[in-house]
Amino acid sequence: MSDSPYHDDHGNKDATITNKAGMGTMTPAHRKSGKTQYVGGGPFLIGDSMTGGYGKGPDILHDCTIAVDKGEIAVIVGPNGAGKSTAMKAVFGMLDVRSGSVRLDGEDITNLSPQDRVVKGMGFVPQTSNIFTSMTVEENLEMGAFIRTDDFSDTMEQVYDLFPILKEKRNQPAGELSGGQRQQVAVGRALMTKPKVLMLDEPTAGVSPIVMDELFDRIIEVARTGLPILMVEQNARQALAIADKGYVLVQGQNAYTGTGKELLADPEVRKSFLGG
Amino acid sequence: MDFLNAFVALSNFVLVPAIAYGSQLALGALGVTLIYGILRFSNFAHGDTMAFGAMIAVLATWWLQSIGVGLGPLPTALLALPIAILGCMLLVLITDRLVYRFYREQKAKPVILVIVSMGVMFITNGLVRFVIGPDDQNFADGERFLISARDFKEMTGLEEGLAIKTTQGITVVVAVIAVALLFWFLNKTRTGKSMRAYSDNEDLALLSGINPERVVMYTWLIVAALATTAGVLYGLDKSFKPFVYFQLLLPIFASAIVGGLGNPLGAIAGGFIIAFSEVTITYAWKKVLTYLAPETLEPSGLVQLLSTDYKFAVSFVILLIVLLFKPTGLFKGKAV
Repeated sequence: MSDSPYHDDHGNKDATITNKAGMGTMTPAHRKSGKTQYVGGGPFLIGDSMTGGYGKGPDILHDCTIAVDKGEIAVIVGPNGAGKSTAMKAVFGMLDVRSGSVRLDGEDITNLSPQDRVVKGMGFVPQTSNIFTSMTVEENLEMGAFIRTDDFSDTMEQVYDLFPILKEKRNQPAGELSGGQRQQVAVGRALMTKPKVLMLDEPTAGVSPIVMDELFDRIIEVARTGLPILMVEQNARQALAIADKGYVLVQGQNAYTGTGKELLADPEVRKSFLGG
Repeated sequence: MDFLNAFVALSNFVLVPAIAYGSQLALGALGVTLIYGILRFSNFAHGDTMAFGAMIAVLATWWLQSIGVGLGPLPTALLALPIAILGCMLLVLITDRLVYRFYREQKAKPVILVIVSMGVMFITNGLVRFVIGPDDQNFADGERFLISARDFKEMTGLEEGLAIKTTQGITVVVAVIAVALLFWFLNKTRTGKSMRAYSDNEDLALLSGINPERVVMYTWLIVAALATTAGVLYGLDKSFKPFVYFQLLLPIFASAIVGGLGNPLGAIAGGFIIAFSEVTITYAWKKVLTYLAPETLEPSGLVQLLSTDYKFAVSFVILLIVLLFKPTGLFKGKAV
């Protein structure tokens, strides 16, 4: 994408004339939504044999399949650069899926824009910049509910019940919170749309082990309400322990698939990814 | 030693004009800071957007005067203001549709939009001068003074007079109303919050279902209203001359940057800082000092630090100092 003259700023770094903070970096595969088609069957959310990459770039995913069914937690693990986050982004429509398809509740949504996937009921928590730092916690949640036209105060109460610390800090700018609290805001924001499926991209990245345990507890709590969760995790051992389904990706391909327990017990997986 | 007369003289020549000028700058800087915060570039066409809005107000005022509609003691321009705002909104929306949207779709880097805005500046500038001509136009009518110097002297029996022009009073009142409305809108309404969210984090705003084109449109509409109001108030207070608005760009940008680009509160504070510096530095202090100093120490010169011809140098120097020592501005904007 750097070939375009519009993307060449000749090294300008003058922030008095240009404001790069918070600039959009997303490159949705479809800016405008195409058609969807009901095909039926299959798991609740599935990225089925997806092959694709960013823009005109080379393929990053090769025939990769990830899925999550109702009431389940599915975890994607793998070494660095295996395409875990990329697979997640492909499911969310931020990657050109050149072959294969994405289906939500039996509907083929491969041609939908990311925004329209949110409307369809997908909640997505990016790995970084996943909160509005200059806005208060409550405003963050309100923005999460932006597409809702009904009264969302009960959903906000539910989020506050799930994350009591947020209720305490509701009028504080989210950027002033600690790492773990920020992640709670991020997950809370995504829950405000009442999504049918929640996608988390490394929710525990950069938080302390204690906070990480707490976050995992909360994620299990959310899953117990029946909300399917698809997440990418670096802490493979812990993540697989709570997973109903696990996907080990290597170089954009499915290497191992199974229940969390199976993968934890698999000697191959243990040797290559879990450190023995 | 005569503190009272000194204070009245100071108010008459420094405080009152600076407050009025500061309000005009603040309104201008708010527009600049909104575009910077939300559309992410410095809009060099802002001065000429003000000129365009003010031009419509001048034309509408003339039309209203010709059909005999007026506001009595208040200037007819206040009636023309809503018409001018609508006209200016139309201009910015057309410009956005014809020019800026193309670059947004290409996801062009902000610095390219800065240069694009310069092009828009030249075109708007030419358009305004083509329609109304490059000359001074006076369109203020109604009562000239709230308090004239003579009335004040008669009322108080002081040696010094304090004159407050109607336009100065109107400037402050209108500016306060506009700023209050803007802050209420940005902090309390759903659309205003979505604009702040978009400014904070575009990607996440998109993921939350906020429509970027909507946000951009509302931003332009608000900026057009602010620019027109600032332009009309400035024109009423001084006079309307297209080229002056182009020159106003410097103090306006200085205000926005001094306060902290992207921060609306900063824009207001910056406006007053620039206005007060400009007026105090170019004011001849002889009169005030004569009242304050003992007779033997009376200044012989004018005690004017800088000729008014150099007033723009003041904004420029403040701008330099702020960028050198506190680049994020006084109120922590985004510029670094």
